[in-house]
Amino acid sequence: MSNNTECVHTDFYVRRLHSLLGIVPIGFFLLEHVITISQVLGGGHAFDAAVAKLAAIPHDILITLEIVFIAIPLLIHGIYGMYIAMQAKLNPGRYGYMRNKQFTLQRITAWYLVPFLLWHVGYLRFIVKGSEGISFAQMSSYLDNPIVFALYVIGLVAAIFHFTNGLFTFSITWGISKGPRVQSVVNKMAWGLFVILAAVGVASMFAFIG
Amino acid sequence: MAEQKKVHFIIERQDSPDSAPYTEEFLLDYRPAMNVVSSLMEIQKNPVNKAGKKVSPVVWECNCLEKVCGACMMVINGKARQACAALIDQLEQPIRLAPARTFPVIRDLMIDRSVMFENLKKVQAWVAVDGSWEVKPADRQNPYTATEAYEISRCMTCGCCMEACPNVGPQSDFIGPAAIGQAHLFNLHPTGQYDKHKRVGALMQKGGSSSCGNSQNCVQACPKQIKLTTYIAQMNRDINKQALKNIFSK
Amino acid sequence: MKKRIIVVGGGLSGLMATMKICEAGGQVDLFSLCPVKRSHSVCAQGGINAVMNTKGQNDSVWEHFDDTVYGGDFLGDQVAIKGMVENAPKLIEMFDRMGVTFTRTAEGVLDLRNFGGQKNKRTCFSGATTGQQLLYALDEQVRMWETKGCVTKYEFWEFVKIIKTKEGECGGIIAQNMKSMEIEAFAGDAVIIATGGPGFVFGKCTASTICTGSAVSSCYQDGAYLGNPEFIQIHPTAIPGDDKNRLMSESARGEGGRVWTYRDGKPWYFLEDMYPAYGNLVPRDIAARAIFKVCVHMGLGINGENRVYLDLSHIDTDYLNRKLGGILEIYEEFVGDDPRKVPMQIFPAVHYSMGGMWVDIYHRTNIIGLFSSGECDYQYHGANRLGANSLLSATHSGTISGPKAMEFTKTREWIDGAKAVSAPLTAEELAKAKADAEAEFEKLMAMDGEENAYVLHKELGELMLENVAIERHNDRLEYCGKELVKILKRWDNIGLTDKGRWFNQEVMFVRQLRNMIVYARAITQAALQRNESRGAHYKEEFPNRDDENFLKTTRVKCNPQTLAPEIDYIDFDHSMIKPRPRRYDIAKGGK
Repeated sequence: MSNNTECVHTDFYVRRLHSLLGIVPIGFFLLEHVITISQVLGGGHAFDAAVAKLAAIPHDILITLEIVFIAIPLLIHGIYGMYIAMQAKLNPGRYGYMRNKQFTLQRITAWYLVPFLLWHVGYLRFIVKGSEGISFAQMSSYLDNPIVFALYVIGLVAAIFHFTNGLFTFSITWGISKGPRVQSVVNKMAWGLFVILAAVGVASMFAFIG
Repeated sequence: MAEQKKVHFIIERQDSPDSAPYTEEFLLDYRPAMNVVSSLMEIQKNPVNKAGKKVSPVVWECNCLEKVCGACMMVINGKARQACAALIDQLEQPIRLAPARTFPVIRDLMIDRSVMFENLKKVQAWVAVDGSWEVKPADRQNPYTATEAYEISRCMTCGCCMEACPNVGPQSDFIGPAAIGQAHLFNLHPTGQYDKHKRVGALMQKGGSSSCGNSQNCVQACPKQIKLTTYIAQMNRDINKQALKNIFSK
Repeated sequence: MKKRIIVVGGGLSGLMATMKICEAGGQVDLFSLCPVKRSHSVCAQGGINAVMNTKGQNDSVWEHFDDTVYGGDFLGDQVAIKGMVENAPKLIEMFDRMGVTFTRTAEGVLDLRNFGGQKNKRTCFSGATTGQQLLYALDEQVRMWETKGCVTKYEFWEFVKIIKTKEGECGGIIAQNMKSMEIEAFAGDAVIIATGGPGFVFGKCTASTICTGSAVSSCYQDGAYLGNPEFIQIHPTAIPGDDKNRLMSESARGEGGRVWTYRDGKPWYFLEDMYPAYGNLVPRDIAARAIFKVCVHMGLGINGENRVYLDLSHIDTDYLNRKLGGILEIYEEFVGDDPRKVPMQIFPAVHYSMGGMWVDIYHRTNIIGLFSSGECDYQYHGANRLGANSLLSATHSGTISGPKAMEFTKTREWIDGAKAVSAPLTAEELAKAKADAEAEFEKLMAMDGEENAYVLHKELGELMLENVAIERHNDRLEYCGKELVKILKRWDNIGLTDKGRWFNQEVMFVRQLRNMIVYARAITQAALQRNESRGAHYKEEFPNRDDENFLKTTRVKCNPQTLAPEIDYIDFDHSMIKPRPRRYDIAKGGK
């Protein structure tokens, strides 16, 4: 232990990186998603317009952005996150405190989001976007399948919870909110954000299937 | 005379560290002021299980019975707590006792918490005094800081926080809340803080503070109401500062 | 080659001795039947006395010296006591440097509180858990030494007995691993016994369940003398529990608590009735005896049980919370009733043993190579201990026994110019001692009689509590002595229910129980022969102190054949303060 200050502390930096990536850029990307899909509340053409705006970004730049700010962070966050989740033995049955339930949900949503995102990205980004392209009409018909629709609603709400609860834990992990009062305030704010985003997101999902 | 009121126990037993656990039930005569320890003592005096079979008395650890030595922590009706302060009148029956399986089980309710004492070595939970001989008298201390330190130094290494924490256990290398609180305790001390960088450095290592998943069970489970989550957040802050220092000042 | 010293017991005294030995360059094998951090020292709540003189009261070391000697009814060795009170302020400074979280004044220096039997504020404290804080400080220091390789801890190892060389000196110990049950012989250049008090001999008491006095009794049976074992301190107000009796601070009475029980269907405030001048504020021993009389002799305890009410319910709740908040919470937690609304139920309980292994002022026993320190020795408190002097004597004695043990390993000098002549135990001698102990253990494992050890212990406790604790009469003591012989006989008829060879607590308890019975005989016999009243020892037939015959230390030897105690009286140093009558004033505050 005498020379522990000389250690490289790889684990520490990876964990902090994992925590940070969850907010920037992945969290921001989720926000962007919710804002984009919420355009559908203004009608199908509004959604198509929003998609078209994104499509206007030059292809090379878009690919670079997608790889640097989405693919790599998601892979790191996802793979290391699974490693973290595997170190927990969930016990909300015995310790049914709210924060413990949040802890449990954070891990359950993580386990749901890994296959969901593989499916979501694989199908919509690689298959659909690569061929016919994303549009209101295409999304409407895709989500018309009730199973797909249900899995997507769950996926969206899970992602939003994972993000907003992540904001709360981020504030502790980074030593920003320390005492019980401030932690409680941050937690409530995170829940507030969850409710807003989830309401907008779910409403948008229903708007797709009209 | 009315029928004798009974107390029903379902106890998770295990003969040795490697043998399979089993449950054994006991029915004891109710007496006022019973607690879990006094019930186990009754079983010692008459080790007969519910089926009427004579069995070996249940093994558990206890010393002070005043909730200050930390020995008698076990899982009572699902929650880790001190058996001496678990009153029968306040427990739902049947009362289920189990060892805190976050730790290796030695026998029955007896567990091996040596990892907690080893953790105290890792975080150097002491003030490195030159010796017990006379030196200069100690400095004055801010009484408010001293009050915070007192709160933490009541930690009796019972392991409730470790048992309640979903991130502590054989599946993980997390050092757990107790040692983080203790590291902060000595960082508060006027001379103990000279070694703060060592304690912070230790908790920066794998399995240190960053392995906390913020379930915050520890602060709920602590029988001494130590604000463990606050001290974990403080340690996270200290670690960040030290990380910046390591990056830019070395 | 480093000197190896065996320390048995990891409470304040054992840890202090360990640290001192490490500092002197020695190597320590530290044995404890629990993790040392869980030792009974954690239970001390009130504080530790030391003359810090920071309250403008012109407190002096001499005053502390006088209070301790006077409080002990002049039976304490004055040279030893003087050394202790002189060392006290230094020990506080040491603890302060180690990071003990003492309660502080607004300007950041150590606060002091009043305590019974002392006029000046002299008690340093750390909230209501001073013992815990002091023990932890030493635990931390010893852990630091452990990381330096100077201490080897044997936790969950039980001391079985000392190993004597053929010259009769102490050359090591036999200890048993409580998990694997393996027995091992350890050689040491010196052995320090720091195993605490024998409270468990009285069954339910304020002590921890590990305070059996078993180790001391084992040494006693191997020829170590006991000193003053008849002096047992009783605390008048303990909370009778189903598992143990927990202390209820004296301050409950100080803040207006009234003691009563039902007589003829009506509340009877018997202390106010019996002692109109002092009422509920009579000193500890008088209160204890009155409660005992009302319950045991008059049969007026609540529901016929040994307990009376200590009533605070007539006092304003806000006032109670402000003044007694902490202790009322303890009652609420362990009893489940709110003492602000319902009267508390209390009964006196055995609290501390002033007596123990006989030692000289350097903590040497009569066996060469064997030291003893802490509550298990007889030093410092005479016939009665002052509140907050126990943490002091425990720590201070460790600062003597440790260095003196190291010194002995070099000079080999003992009491009265005696010299150690034994060579270190050879491998053959150790193997033989181990084999003998294993054979003894096998006899225990083979016990298959009718008696249950825990039931027998309960009987022992009840017998001792009724006859040797609060009130002593020679006929009762004689009766008790005979009963103890019977109980010892019944011990032979114990049957083990647990035949396991892995962490078998029962068989260990059976061995402890035998030692407890033998120790109980020494207490009883010493009480019987001391025909006077002094300090905690009270006989109605002899209500006064008798300096002419009994200003002497009781010395008890164990007859190796019959295990009967053999008593003589020896002089001790009381040259500095001339004995004067000890008059009780109203005890104030604290525990």
